[in-house]
Order: sequence, then structure tokens, then C-alpha cells
Amino acid sequence: MNSSSKDKITTSQAVVIIINYILATGILTLPRASVEKVKTPDVWISVFLGGIVAMIAGVIIVKLSQQFPDKTFYQYNQEIIGKWLGWLISACVIVYFFTISAFEVRIMAEVTSLFLLEGTPTWAIILPFLWVGLYLISGGINSIARLFEIIFPITFVIFLLVAFLSLGIFEIDNLRPVLGLGVMPMLKGIKTATLAFLGPEIMLLLVAFMYPSDKSKAVKVVLVGITIPLLFYVITVVMVIGALSIEGVMTRTWPTIELMRSFEIPGLIFERFESFLLVIWIMQIFATFTITYYAAVLGLAQLFKKSIHPFLYGLLPIIYIIAMTPKNVNDLFKFGDKIGHAALILFGVIPVALLLISKLKGDKT
Amino acid sequence: MWEKVISYVPHWQVFMQGFLAFLIPFLIFKLFNGFLLVKKNNGKIDIKEQANQSEKVHKPIQKTLEQFTGNYNVDLAQMRKEIGHNWDVHFREFHIGNTGNRAAIVFLKGLCDKELIDKHILTSLMNCHTENPTIIKGYELQQLIKNEVLPVSDLREESNVMKSVGRVLTGATVLIVDGITSVFIIGTAHGKTRNLEEPISEALVRGPRVGFTEKLSVNTSLLRQHGENQHLSIIQMEVGERSKKELVIAYIDEIVEPNLVQEVKKRIEKINLDDVAESGYIEQLIEDNYLSPFTQVQSTERPDRVIAALMEGRVAIILDGTPFALIVPVTFNMLLQSPEDYYERWLPSSLIRLLRYLAAGITLFGPSLYIAFVSFHQGLIPTKLALSMMGTRQGVPFPALIEALIMEVAIEILREAGLRLPKPIGLTMGIVGGLVIGEAAVQAGIVSPIMVIVVALTAISSFAIPQYNAGITLRMLRFIAMFSAALFGLYGIILFFLFLCSHLVKLKSFGVPYVSPTVPYRAGDWKDFMVRMPLKMMKHRPRLLKPKDTIRKGD
Repeated sequence: MNSSSKDKITTSQAVVIIINYILATGILTLPRASVEKVKTPDVWISVFLGGIVAMIAGVIIVKLSQQFPDKTFYQYNQEIIGKWLGWLISACVIVYFFTISAFEVRIMAEVTSLFLLEGTPTWAIILPFLWVGLYLISGGINSIARLFEIIFPITFVIFLLVAFLSLGIFEIDNLRPVLGLGVMPMLKGIKTATLAFLGPEIMLLLVAFMYPSDKSKAVKVVLVGITIPLLFYVITVVMVIGALSIEGVMTRTWPTIELMRSFEIPGLIFERFESFLLVIWIMQIFATFTITYYAAVLGLAQLFKKSIHPFLYGLLPIIYIIAMTPKNVNDLFKFGDKIGHAALILFGVIPVALLLISKLKGDKT
Repeated sequence: MWEKVISYVPHWQVFMQGFLAFLIPFLIFKLFNGFLLVKKNNGKIDIKEQANQSEKVHKPIQKTLEQFTGNYNVDLAQMRKEIGHNWDVHFREFHIGNTGNRAAIVFLKGLCDKELIDKHILTSLMNCHTENPTIIKGYELQQLIKNEVLPVSDLREESNVMKSVGRVLTGATVLIVDGITSVFIIGTAHGKTRNLEEPISEALVRGPRVGFTEKLSVNTSLLRQHGENQHLSIIQMEVGERSKKELVIAYIDEIVEPNLVQEVKKRIEKINLDDVAESGYIEQLIEDNYLSPFTQVQSTERPDRVIAALMEGRVAIILDGTPFALIVPVTFNMLLQSPEDYYERWLPSSLIRLLRYLAAGITLFGPSLYIAFVSFHQGLIPTKLALSMMGTRQGVPFPALIEALIMEVAIEILREAGLRLPKPIGLTMGIVGGLVIGEAAVQAGIVSPIMVIVVALTAISSFAIPQYNAGITLRMLRFIAMFSAALFGLYGIILFFLFLCSHLVKLKSFGVPYVSPTVPYRAGDWKDFMVRMPLKMMKHRPRLLKPKDTIRKGD
């Protein structure tokens, strides 16, 4: 119903959507979250492995979706495992999507009120953000894809620029020794690192929106779409740990911003670059927020077989209330962890099961 | 357990805010939807009323929609009844040569080529001598006049009275001859036109110095003169219910996508107006989204620009009576391009083009960045700069937003005032406004000197945009950016940017996404986007227009 010809996206758009979805809170929180688990400078290896785990999950998801090339996850899972169970899984996925969008909004509000707008109430920060997102989503997947294509190059250039500038305080000794305490600590960090790569699950829906001739390239889309954020994350982790050291990272809530604050380059128009980082980061959060919001709305519309509009507006207060529920930043991070665990089950286990079932069913008929 | 859950239930205010989060956009949505509905309804009513009116108007006309009888007196009286009361309509009666047949010409003073009438039509008719004059009547006379007497190329016969009246009013001369059941219509229209001049609104350093004029035939001939091209189609249409105007659609049928031409025709046919005064009316009536601040149709006075657009597979609309041709579809990058980009070598053109993008950015975000940094994020700018900015702002009694608004509004008023005044006074205005107000405002401590610099830079940047109306759009949006910066600082600017982008990606001009070729990524089209690659590399037409023939021949 929502896959009319104008709602098609190109391969590059699909890649950009995945990249923008993945890049979100992780840029600011991944260094601390993973260092807390690993406690050695080998974090970057964990991040690398986490990316590979995400790629495997992504490929499974794509394979599943390619079985039903013209349908979204919400439509085809009922065909695999029956009406009620399918309905239930769809409902869980929808809840997951709008919960994560609420989580992103709240993280954005926390960071913004800490670094940009001291004293502005949280609701005043969140509401306009929600409305701009709503305006974008009412244009459908095509508008979302195009907006992502506009903000991706900006992110790319500015990110590389600030990462390059922070080379000045980079010390390679902070990253040594490699595997000094063996492999075990590094393995502990994989789960945390994988959670930063939430995003390939959007392929459950995106394959239905791709041009028929491009659907075979969906695996490639996922691989490229994860590789680029992987590079971003590895660069971030290496730069942050290299500059702030393991101990320094653990004591800071937002280590990446602290990194940007800790150096000054005199002689340029700007001496400090955290504003640049925050600009691209807010754009990335906006991207993640809109795509998850859209995924949830689309799911509701397809589940109830109604038009997309009532859900578009109806979901706003729910997202807002969920976003306002965590009491403080620590609560928020715990909340994020819970979402991550839910994602591991929803998108790590269920797609494998569904793929197996559909293969078995396909063999029978 | 329950206590823990309850402790997470948000305050009731949060629920209120959540409700607001839903209500406000919903109301706006309803409002706009209502707006659109009202407009549609109005349209329907309009059409009905129009239909009623036109029936009323047409009925009496249909009664008199008579044929010429061939009886000279009756026919002449008929013509007189229809248009004889007009001061500028002339009736001249005479006899045709030695045949003794009575005849009359009817023409409009001022709109006709008097020399043609006097020297060729009247002279030939009055001096026509045949061998046996008395026999010639009716059909023979008609053939004689047509084949031997009148040395005019544009000659037609018409038997309908109303149609001949219409022709007289557009400048033709009608010849009524006794005994012939139809009249001759001689094309003598010769309206006053001005000379071809350089277009004032789009001057170039290098490039043809010729612009369109108010006369349609001159404009189309300018397109034809560009070079022999048998595929250049110029299709005639008519707009206006009461005062009918000619309008042509030009395209190159080998290149253009046929659906685009169909869409343009469809939209023009839908226009239902008494009078279409200027192509701006058409622009506003055929654009995709009338709520958008962006122009979705490009207007130009330059024939070379039109030709270049046609060669890319676009469609041009030229209306009689205005020098401004319209080009559709438009993409955002077109507003920042000038024909000169292609006439100069690629390196300077590319740099100038990049400069324009920078200028557009400054126009849009200059003052708002100043407001954001001064009132929210002093910590984000270099310390020395922050200190000097704060130092100059000392004693300024207003917040940064008011300060910026005072200057921005003043400069907009200056621009508007200077535009209407004759040139010498306009210059004085510039001096008075720029020097006196700027300098005095700083001296008086109303604004800070840095604010004056920001405002001046913004104003200059906005005029560096080659399309005048695109510049206005950006200047308009600049104010919204300023308000959002005053509310939320840098965050507000980011939100505004995202909002603007959201609007732009949703906008379409005749089925073509407005932001293309930026997105979706089409590397081929980027050769002519922010930079202008060497002509040798631009072998393909822009793919976004889906041209039939993608390769520019003769590379």
C-alpha cells in the first residue's frame, strides 16, 4: 500500500539510510561504554569485531527480506509464522522502533542542554525537534532518503575534519599495549560495541522500497552501510583513547565532546571545534529519530491496514512521554542498554528463526 | 515493585506537553488542509460561476453569430453595429477600380501598418482595371482580387462576422466587397515595439547583449535566430477568458520528455482567469506548491538562457506582452547559475559558482549565526574575538535579535526604496542610507559595529545571487533563521536547516525533485552543479530531466 512507484529508493539511498541510522549516540558514548567493559586499549578491536557481528546479522536480515522482495517485514512475517504470532512480533518491532526514537530524542536533549542551551527546559528542546521530524516524515521514505543524502556528506566532511584536527593531542602510547591482557577483555566489549551498530534492522523494511532491479544488491548495501560507520567508530575510539587515555575516558560522560574541547587551534576563525561535532551529531540524531519514527508509523499503518496519517500524529505524544520518562542521564543509559538487549533478540535471533522456517516451508511446497 | 514502576510515571505536566506535541502540528495540518480545501472549493465555484457567466455572455453572441450575406449595405451595417462605436475603428468606403463594385476596409487606427494599407491595398484596389468591368461580380471578382489585385502575403477569407470583428481588433484589416459572401482579412498588424535591448535584470559581462521584448513574434524569432534547428517546436496556446492572449510553449522535440510537455500544456489549459497580465500570473498558477517560499519556475529575459535550458530538455513558456519567459522545471542549483558560467573558461566559472554558494549560505545564516554566538555561545568563538565583540556591544541597549532586526529591516527598506526611485535619487538614497544610518547608528550606540559589518555582508551576498527572486527567497528565510537562532541558538539554526532541507526534499517542480542533482546522487549531473567542469567533459544532458537523447552531440 505504501510501495507505489514514487516511493522507491535507489541503492545509494539505501546505503545512506543505513549509515545515518547507525551513526547516532554511538559517536559520543561508544568510547566510554566500551572502555568500561574492556578496560584495556584494545577497544578498537572490539569495535571492529562488533561491526562484523552487525554485518552478519544484517546479511541474515537481508536474506530474509529477499524471500519476500515486495513486502515489508510487517507484511511477510504473518505469512511465515501465522497471523497471531506474526502480529505479535510486528507489534514488538514497532514498539522497539518508537522506543529507540524516543531514546535518541532524549539523548539529544540531554547533550544539547548540557553543551549548547544551558537552562532551556527539556520540553522546549524536544518539541520543535519532534515537529521538524514529523514534517519530514509526512513526505514519505523518499523525502527521508533525500534528506539523509544531504546531511551525510556534511557529516562525512566535518567529522573527518575534526578528527584530523585532534591529531595534535594524539599519543600513540595511550593505545599500547595491543592485547596486553590477552583476548578475553576485548571479547567482553563486543556486545557493547555491537549495540552501537543498531541499524541494519531497517533493511527489514527497506528492501521492499528498493527498485526491483536493485534488490539483489541488498547484501552489498548492508555491507557498505555498516563499513562506513565502522570506520567512523574506529576513528572515534582510537582518537578519543589516544588523546584522553583509558582512565580519562572512563571518568567522562561524553568523552568525544571532551576530546573536542581539550584542544585549541589558534589562528583559525574557530579555536574550538565541539560546536562542529555537535552540529553533525544533532543531524545524525535527527536522521536516526526520523527513520525509526517512520519505521514505527509504517508498521502501525500496515498492521492495522489504515492510512499513515493518524499514526503519524498519534505517535508523537507517546514518543514524547517515553522520552521524558528516564529521570536522569544514568537512567537514560540503562534504558538504552535495555533497548539494545531487546534489539539483540528481535534482530539477532528472530530473523534467523524466520529465515529457517521460511526456507523449510519453501522446501515443502 | 509497584513503587518502582510508579516512580517512573512522569509528572502530569509531561502528559500535557505530550498532548501539545500532538495538538499543535495536528492543528497546523488541519489548518493547511482546510486552506487547500477552501482553495479547491473556490476553484470549483469559480469554474461554475465562470461557466454560468460565459454562457450568459455567449448566448447573445451566438444569436448574432451570423455569416456575411454578400449584400454590401447589410454587411457593412453589421460590422458597424459590432464595433462602429469605437473611436479607433475606421471604415473607409471606395470603389474597386473600373468595375464599380462598392467596397470598404475596416481597420484599427494605430495598430495597423498605415503605409501598407495606403500604398498597397487601397492603391491596388482603386487602380484595378479589367477589360470588361461590368461582368465581373461575385465569385469571379473574389478570384480576381485574390489572384491579381492584392499584392499581400497574409490574406485570408472569412465568412463569420464575429471572427472578422475579432481579427480587426487584433490589427488586421477587413475588406468587404459588394457581392462577395465572405470578407478578406489582410494581415496588417503592426504593433508598436521597443528595440532589442540588453536585459537590465540579467546583465552579463560576456554574452549576447539581447533580451526579449514585449512582442511574442519578436521573442520567438529570437529563439529561431539562435541557429537552424528543425526540432525546435513552438506550440501556440491561448490564455485569458476575457482578454485573450497568445502564449507559446517552446521545446526541442528530440530531447524533451513528452510527459513534461503534456504536463505543461495541461496546467496552462487549467488556467482560468479573466486576464493574464504578465508571465508572473502563469508562474504562480502552474507552480507545484504555492505555499513554498521557493520559486519553482524560472523567469528570464535572456534568449540564450532559454535556448540553453531547451537544450537540456526543459520547456519554455513565452507570453505575449512581457519580456519574461518562463522555464520549467526548475531545480535549486539553477537559481545559482548564470549563463556566463558557460561562456567563461571552466576554472573561473567554477570558482565564481562556489562563491555564489558561499554567498547564499551567508545570506541565509549570516545574521543568525551572529545572534546565536553573541547571545548563547560566546564560549565557542575565539576568546579575543569574543572579547572584542562584547566590547563593541557594550552600551548597546538591545538584545542581539532586536539589534539585528533593526539593521536588517532598515536595509530591506533602503533596498525597496532605492528600487523605485529614478537613478540619480537612488544613488543619493544609497549614500544616505548606507553611510548616514550605518555610521550614525553605531555612533548613537544603537547597534554595534560588528552588527553593521554582518548586515552589510549579508546584503551584498544576497545580491550576488544571479536570480533576483531567489535572492528575495533567501532574504525572507533569513528572518526565520534569525528568530530560531534567538530562541535556541545554534540548536535553533540546525533545526531550521533541517526544516528547510525537509521542505526542499519534499518540493517538486513538474515532477523533478527540486534539490536534484544534489540528491539522489547522480555523479554524472554533478559535473554541472557546484563546479562547472570543462565543456569537453559535459557530454551528457542532465539525467534528472530524463531526456530522450542523452548525449550532447558534437563534443
